[in-house]
Amino acid sequence: MNVIEIDHLTKTYGQARGITDLSFTVEKGEIFGFIGPNGAGKSTTIRTLLGLIHPTSGSAKIFGKDIIQHGPEIKREIGYLPSEVFYYDNMKVKDLLKYSASFYNKDCSKRIKELAEVMDLDLSKKIDDLSLGNKKKVGIVQGLLHGPKLIILDEPTSGLDPLMQQKFFELLEQENKKGATILFSSHILSEVQRLCNRVAIVKEGKLIQLEKISTLKESNYKRFKIETKTPVSAGYFRMVGVNELKEEGQHVSFLYKGNINEVMRKIAAIEIQNVWVEEPDLEEIFMHYYEKED
Amino acid sequence: MNIFIRELKANRKALIIWCIGVVFLVGSGMSKYAGMYSSGQSMNNLMADLPKSLQAMFGVGGLDLSKVSGYYGILFIYLLVMATIHAAMLGSSILSKEERDKTSEFLMVKPVSRNQVLSAKLCAAIMNVIIFNVVMLVSSIGLVNPYAKGENVIPDILLLMGGMFILQLLFLMLGMAIAAISKHPKRAVSLSTGILLATFILSMMIDISGQIDALKYVTPFKYFEAKQVMYGGGYDPVFVILSVVIIAVSLFATYYFYNKRDLTV
Repeated sequence: MNVIEIDHLTKTYGQARGITDLSFTVEKGEIFGFIGPNGAGKSTTIRTLLGLIHPTSGSAKIFGKDIIQHGPEIKREIGYLPSEVFYYDNMKVKDLLKYSASFYNKDCSKRIKELAEVMDLDLSKKIDDLSLGNKKKVGIVQGLLHGPKLIILDEPTSGLDPLMQQKFFELLEQENKKGATILFSSHILSEVQRLCNRVAIVKEGKLIQLEKISTLKESNYKRFKIETKTPVSAGYFRMVGVNELKEEGQHVSFLYKGNINEVMRKIAAIEIQNVWVEEPDLEEIFMHYYEKED
Repeated sequence: MNIFIRELKANRKALIIWCIGVVFLVGSGMSKYAGMYSSGQSMNNLMADLPKSLQAMFGVGGLDLSKVSGYYGILFIYLLVMATIHAAMLGSSILSKEERDKTSEFLMVKPVSRNQVLSAKLCAAIMNVIIFNVVMLVSSIGLVNPYAKGENVIPDILLLMGGMFILQLLFLMLGMAIAAISKHPKRAVSLSTGILLATFILSMMIDISGQIDALKYVTPFKYFEAKQVMYGGGYDPVFVILSVVIIAVSLFATYYFYNKRDLTV
């Protein structure tokens, strides 16, 4: 069963592009990654799904119901964590969470306590006294307190320290085991890789790729930077799997995909001064996806 | 219901401050009257010596200042400005603040329709306006009556407050409609109060010039003038109907456009 069905969704802001002809589905029980650089249209898609903005054309369904016609009904089962959390400043955390819970016809006080404990959140503080990370925690508790069937997260980890990220991911995995579907938007590949089953990659408002994480992991790119003692002969590193080769005297850099041993042997054969092997950033992978499309 | 209660709480402090301001304005206005009265000067003569444009600016035009009701009629203009500013600001801010403070991303993803949000906020705003009006009414009666000298001022004050309430609703709805239509929530409040001040200045210009009388339909400040309400036999039905129409149109526009447009987040 599909929890989210997006069908040729387009959203434009006047002349500016939002998203163009976006279609994909999220199945029940999966953790679905939604990645792309800033301004790719991730938030636009999510805000359209939540009815904050209206689509220019196309449609979307959540739980099999149209997002516009059945908005309030759908939202009963959705928990949302925006990328930047803003709350009523003069409220206490406790009061805000109670207010949030009052929209759902169930008693959430026990769950609030549990979540606050896990996330180490002080309920008696005022919202405007909280740091960015602590506000984010309020957002997490607020998004999960009613046990939603669909959790939508828009770049949720910003502002959280690594320990809290860890706890948060564990929490998400627990919710997922209980049956919740999760739409996880991010521009950080590693966290998506860790959590998600499938991932949609968007850039400039368009869907570029929809893959299983396992497939994405196979395309394991590494960024090599090598400084040699003497200038290498041109084209020395030109081999299968090497992309974007740049040779500038003693400095060589390239993107490599394939058997790591082969390239290491190649490097070992020459006299080197220094070597860097890095995970390419997302932008570089996107560049690659573009090349593949051409 | 939860949004309604939340809005009442959120506006409580501001309302209390406004109400203190009301009592203070009525109180200080009436103490001026007490001073004038005890000095034995005839205010009618004093005002009659002023040029017509100045009389118009003070809002004297046609009011009998020897009576406390006439004096209150002048004061009423300032009370009216105060009440309508409160209403216009409340109407536009109660809606636009969610977008201004970016809390719309919290509220609007809850299982509520935009209509439900609008209705709850509208009810809370009307509640505020009613409280404001009642405080004005009670403090007016309480502070004017001691100077009444046998004149029964209460019916006049009740009538004036009724007119004020209609104008409060009018500007409340106008402010709300502007906030609902405007794509720039930060500008909604200033736009609403801007319109209010422009119509107020227009109403003064009508009095001063005496030749652009036809424009009185454009400015709500001309709809329930003290001299008309007190001496002219109550409300003019034309203006009552006009007010109701403006309120209805604003109400419709609020619901229609707020449902249609994208929220700023």
